[in-house]
Amino acid sequence: MIRKMFRPPNSQVELRAYWRKLKAFVKTLSLQRQMMENLIIAKARQDALHRKMEERRLRLQEEANRRFAALGTVTAEEQEQRILYANVLEYEQDHDWPKLWKANVKKNPDDATLVSGLVSYLLSRSDHPVMKLLRKHQYQVYNRLYPIVNKGLPQSPAPPLRPSRSSHNLLHSGRTEALRKSTRVGGVGDQSFSSNPSLSPSLSRDLNTNCEEEEGEEPCTQVTVDRENSFEDLEQFLTQLDWAPPHGNPDDTGSDSDITLDLSLQPEVDDAHIQELEMRALKEHLKAIVKDIHNAIDQLLSLCLLSFECLNTASSKDLCVASIEEAFFTPLWSPLLALFRKVHRERELAFETSMKLYRNTSPGDVGVPLKLFPQDPGMLQGSYPYESAVQELKLLCKHCCPQRKLECIVRTLRLICACAEDYRCLHEVDSPPRTAAIGADDLLPILSFVALRCECPQLVSECAALEEFIHEGYLIGEEGYCLTSMQSALAYVESLHTAGAHLRTAKLT
Amino acid sequence: MASGGSGKTYSFKVVLLGEGCVGKTSLVLRYCENKFNDKHITTLQASFLTKKLNITGKRVNLAIWDTAGQERFHALGPIYYRDSNGAILVYDITDEDSFQKVKNWVKELRKMLGNEICLCIVGNKIDLDKDRHVSVEEAESYAESVGAKHYHTSAKLNKGIEELFLDLCKRMMETAQAEERLKGNGASQSASSRRGVQIVDDEPQATPAGGCCSSG
Repeated sequence: MIRKMFRPPNSQVELRAYWRKLKAFVKTLSLQRQMMENLIIAKARQDALHRKMEERRLRLQEEANRRFAALGTVTAEEQEQRILYANVLEYEQDHDWPKLWKANVKKNPDDATLVSGLVSYLLSRSDHPVMKLLRKHQYQVYNRLYPIVNKGLPQSPAPPLRPSRSSHNLLHSGRTEALRKSTRVGGVGDQSFSSNPSLSPSLSRDLNTNCEEEEGEEPCTQVTVDRENSFEDLEQFLTQLDWAPPHGNPDDTGSDSDITLDLSLQPEVDDAHIQELEMRALKEHLKAIVKDIHNAIDQLLSLCLLSFECLNTASSKDLCVASIEEAFFTPLWSPLLALFRKVHRERELAFETSMKLYRNTSPGDVGVPLKLFPQDPGMLQGSYPYESAVQELKLLCKHCCPQRKLECIVRTLRLICACAEDYRCLHEVDSPPRTAAIGADDLLPILSFVALRCECPQLVSECAALEEFIHEGYLIGEEGYCLTSMQSALAYVESLHTAGAHLRTAKLT
Repeated sequence: MASGGSGKTYSFKVVLLGEGCVGKTSLVLRYCENKFNDKHITTLQASFLTKKLNITGKRVNLAIWDTAGQERFHALGPIYYRDSNGAILVYDITDEDSFQKVKNWVKELRKMLGNEICLCIVGNKIDLDKDRHVSVEEAESYAESVGAKHYHTSAKLNKGIEELFLDLCKRMMETAQAEERLKGNGASQSASSRRGVQIVDDEPQATPAGGCCSSG
C-alpha cells in the first residue's frame, strides 16, 4: 500500500516540485533574515545616536544637579528648575552669544548699558530657554483667561475695552512667527529634551520609549498646557473656543446690550444667587491666575539669573525683573484687565455714577482748600484746575505693563503737588513756600477731584490689578504710597453718589 | 547676596495719623528738614517722606506715610497702615476732640496689626500750653494702658521731635530683632512674606549663641 504511494516516476516529479518550493522558501527566508539584520543594524545605529544624545543630556543634567547640590531635598519645582537649567546648558553649547556677553559683562561689571544690552538681547532670542519658558507661561495664563474673558465683557462708556479677540490676535501676531521658526529649527530631538518638564532624569529609560509615551499623552493632556511648541494645537483650541456656544448666566452673555445699575435690582432671587455664585467663582479664578503669574515671574527670574550669573546684583536684578515683566505683561494685560473688570464691575459702576453726577464739580466741592486752587477761572486760561495731572492720569490705561502704570500714578501725584504749589503761590505771594508743603489732608481731596475729572471707571480695576502686581520693594516706597493714595481717592469717589450728604458736609470742613 | 558695607539695613514704614489741624504735617516736615539737607523732601512734599539714619551702627531707612485726617477717606485706612512698623498718632493738646480720635486709631491699629506695631502718641503744640485741654496725666496713663509711648512736641519751637523719631526707630529695631530671633536664623527671609521689615543681611548669618538674650 505504502509503496504504491511512492511510485518512482511520480515521486520524482513531486520531489522536484518540493525542491523548488523549498529553494524559494529558503531564499525568502534569507531575504527576510537580511532584512531583519538591516533592521537590527539600523536600530543599533539609532540606539547609539540616542545613547549619545541621552549621555549628553545626562551630563548636562548632572552639571545642573551639581549646581543645585546645596539644596537638600528635591521638590517638584526644583526638579523642574534643574531640567530648565540643563536646557540652558545645552543651549549654550550650541550658541556662542551667551559666552561672549558673559565675558563682556565680566570685563566691565559696572557698565549699566552693557547689562541692559544683555537683557534686551536675551529677550530678543526666542529660542533661548528663558524665552521659551516665558512664552509657555504666557500661553498658560492666556488660556486660563480666554474662556472667561470671552464670555462677556462689562460695558462702560469709558474708553472701550479692546475685545478679547483683538488681544487674541495680539498674542498671535509677531510672537507666533518667531515661535514657528524656532519650532522648525528645533527639530524633533530638541523637542523631546526641552518640552516635557515632567521628564525626570532618574527615569532615564530608553529615550525611545520616552518619545513614544510622550506622543501618546500629547493629544489628551498636554496639548496646550506644557508644550510651547505645539502652537498649531493652541490655535485650534482657541478656534474651538470661539465656536463654543456661550454658556453660564445669560445675563453675562448679553455683553453688547446696556448693562446698567438695574442689574443689581434683578427681581429673581435665583438669578441673584447664581450671580453671586458666579462672582465667587470669578474671584477664585482671578486669585489663582494672580498666583500663577507671580510664580511664573519668580521662575523666569531665577532661570534668568541662573543662565547669567553676572546679572545677580541688586541693580541688574531689578532691571531683569522689569524687563521680564514688561515682556510678560504686554500681550496679556488687556485680557487680564478684562477679568479684573468683571470682578470689580460693581465698583466701576459706582464710580461711573459718581462721575456722571459730579463731573463738573469744583475742587472746593470735594474738600480741596480754597487756597489750593484758583477761584477765578480766568486765571486758568480756558483750562480747569489740575488739568495737567488729569491728563497724565488718563495715560495710565494706555500703558500695558504694571511698572509703567505705577510710574504714571507717581507722576500724577507729583504733578498735583507741583500744581498745588503754584496755586498757593498765586494766593499768598509773599509767604515762603516751604512752610506749608501739602500733606495727605490736602493731597487726597485733590486726587479725588483729579480722579473724577479723569472720567475713566476702568481706573478702579487697573489699580486693583496694580495692587496685585506691585513689587514688594516698592510697596513701602513712593510707588506704594501713590498707589495707596490713588485707591483711597477712588474709593471716596465711588462712595460719593450714595453719600451725597458727605459731599455737602465736606464743603463745610 | 547684597554687596558692600557691614551690618544690616532696616527699612521701616511709619504711618502718621491725626486729625486735620493737629500739625502732623509740620511735625514731619520739621523732622526731615532740620538735621539734614532738603533732599529728604520728595516731590510729593509732606505727604510721603523718606529719611536715612544711622543708629548704633545700623542703617535705617525710614518711609513716613502721611494719612488724611478727614473721616471720609478712612474707608481704606487699613491699606495705608498695613505692613507698618510704627505709627505716630498726633493730637493737639488744646483740642480734646483730636485726642478722642487718637484713641479710635489706637483701637483700630491694635485690631489690625496686633502688638507688632510700635505706637507713639504725640501731644503737639506744647507752645500753647496755657490753652491745654488734654491733661498730661490723662494722656500718659492712656498711652501706658495701650502699650504706647507718649511724647510732647512743638513743631513751631522744634521741641521733642528728634527724640520722638529716634526713640521710635530704636523701638522698631528692637521689635524687628526680636522677630528675627523668633523666626530663628534659618529661613528668616521668605520671599513671599509681605511684611514691611526688610532686613538685608550683609554679613554671614550671625551666630545665635551668646548675648542675644538682652531683653528690651
